[in-house]
Amino acid sequence: MTSISERPVDAAAAGLHDLVKPDEGVVSRTVFIDEAIYRTELDRIFTKTWLFIGHESQLRAPGDYLTNFMGEDPVIATRGADGGIRVMLNSCAHRGMAVCTTDAGTSKFFRCPYHGWTYSNNGDLIGVPRADTVYNGELDKSRLGLKAVPRVEIYKGFIFANWDEDAIPLVDYLGADQLWYLDLAFEAPLGGLEVIGPTMKFRIKANWKLAAENFAGDDYHVLYTHGSAFQIGFLPDYDLLADYIANFDHGHGMGDISKPGRAYQNDVGMAQFLGPEAIEYVAAVRERLQARVSPLQAEMHGLGEGNIFPNLSWIKFGVFHVFGLFQWHPKGPGEMEVWQTAFFDSGAPQSIKDFARTQMSQENAAAGIFGQDDGENFEQITESARGFVSQTRDFNYAMGLGHEGEIQEEGYPGRLGPHFSEQNHRNFYRYWLELMTTPGEQK
Amino acid sequence: MTAHLTDLRRDVEDFLYREAKMLDEQRYDEWLALFTADVRYWMPITETREVRQPRDHVPGEWALMEEDSRFLAKRMERLAGGLAHSEQPRSRTRRFISNVLVTPGPDDDLVAESNFIVFQSRRANSEQFFVGSRRDRILTSAEGWKIAERTVLLDHRVLPRAISIFF
Ligand code: FES
Ligand SMILES: [Fe+2]
Repeated sequence: MTSISERPVDAAAAGLHDLVKPDEGVVSRTVFIDEAIYRTELDRIFTKTWLFIGHESQLRAPGDYLTNFMGEDPVIATRGADGGIRVMLNSCAHRGMAVCTTDAGTSKFFRCPYHGWTYSNNGDLIGVPRADTVYNGELDKSRLGLKAVPRVEIYKGFIFANWDEDAIPLVDYLGADQLWYLDLAFEAPLGGLEVIGPTMKFRIKANWKLAAENFAGDDYHVLYTHGSAFQIGFLPDYDLLADYIANFDHGHGMGDISKPGRAYQNDVGMAQFLGPEAIEYVAAVRERLQARVSPLQAEMHGLGEGNIFPNLSWIKFGVFHVFGLFQWHPKGPGEMEVWQTAFFDSGAPQSIKDFARTQMSQENAAAGIFGQDDGENFEQITESARGFVSQTRDFNYAMGLGHEGEIQEEGYPGRLGPHFSEQNHRNFYRYWLELMTTPGEQK
Repeated sequence: MTAHLTDLRRDVEDFLYREAKMLDEQRYDEWLALFTADVRYWMPITETREVRQPRDHVPGEWALMEEDSRFLAKRMERLAGGLAHSEQPRSRTRRFISNVLVTPGPDDDLVAESNFIVFQSRRANSEQFFVGSRRDRILTSAEGWKIAERTVLLDHRVLPRAISIFF
């Protein structure tokens, strides 16, 4: 193994402390457009952190597979004959062709379209056409399997993978403080969460971090970027929705956190509008939460949105809202591919499922009234960052600087902040900087 | 093809071309009036599946758009409000509708299938094409034609941009 310090990424990493100063609330525009910094991110961020791969409900039976990306690396996740879930590079060990060319399906093996090498769904090379003659029987198949992602771990059905063999366990990476909140999304569903349709995919010509930092707790933008949603009555007064944001170790951030009772009251109000089935449903979920989580968590009842570092954002507003995941897949410094998956309670009445599903399409999805306005911002920001003079003007993340830690809510874990603050952005870039300036072993 | 069907297809083409022109000219109130109050407007998500595993779009699965005339009207209200940043200023669009096939229905209705290419140009240099097909059920009462069901199938697996225009 070569030490990473001998590689060109170090040149890009050097000087990052001058470009990214979370404690002063400034980040240079350069980190959103620079090719060398971007390549360093693929190495030091996307091969060192836990990345979302899929959900167990997408790989129910042995042989089921799905494809995804880890950074720019294409991967296949499979459920093997032994029931185990594996993640491997979707690239032939011979000369790199993708061995799986579909989104998802069921197969015991993957055959490379180029020369026909065949891999079992656990990644072993099991067939090489004419191996006896063309390789004189000397090919060591055991060394030529699909490259396995060494660490795969699952939290409550959500499958994550990590290229770093020495990574801390997934639960520790997510952290107990963050999971205290996220568990509400996982424990509330009466029948468990299930994927409710295909993954939605679209491109935004913008740097991936702009979307990640936004979901990490940029609640301030909601007031104006999503002003149209308030204007047409799609959302109530924003100040009635939530009170805080919070951030956690490893760069994670969360927005639209509400005081105990508020989210429940909002759901009750919604249920009255939706009808008797909805009123019963809210009551059933509340009972379930009271039985499964702490009294304070149950009182908290609902979440908002957040970002699991680096590029997995989520949204979940109350029991009538899907749990939506957004992967901001990097495609060069100036472009991302958004992969959106939606989950809902398999045990909810059909009328509630219908409501949650259609509301998510209309709200924060590829054609939703929120997502399209966010994308417009991210694109024009990225475009503006390319100017020579523009680059001398740092982005400003100073909101709430010098006032961190002033907000407390009895029993709420994590570093809480007021509803409108850029503390979570600073937390995101602090961890980003830590990883980016930490040389590691080359994979 | 009988003369009757040829005439009917011409009428349908005329209807779809006029609709396309309304959208290209952003005459949204007129466009909304083309739909029945209980229209089912549906745009499922396209996937890349194995050849031996073709897949129909199932009602009830998460879709790009799944709405009624009430929410379509909300979208128009949003555009009119001046805060819909993704269409502020408006995109320039040009719609091309073709391959129109008509199947008359039992009552005063018909099913029209068509293909489309939509060019979208935003600001200075954001340009993309959206390509797909539509299947419309159109009520053809004497008071005027109305779209009662529309299914839009985009051929893209990865959309070139978030959708801020209509199909
Ligand atoms: S590249 Fe896969 S078999 Fe040759
Ligand atoms: Fe937003």
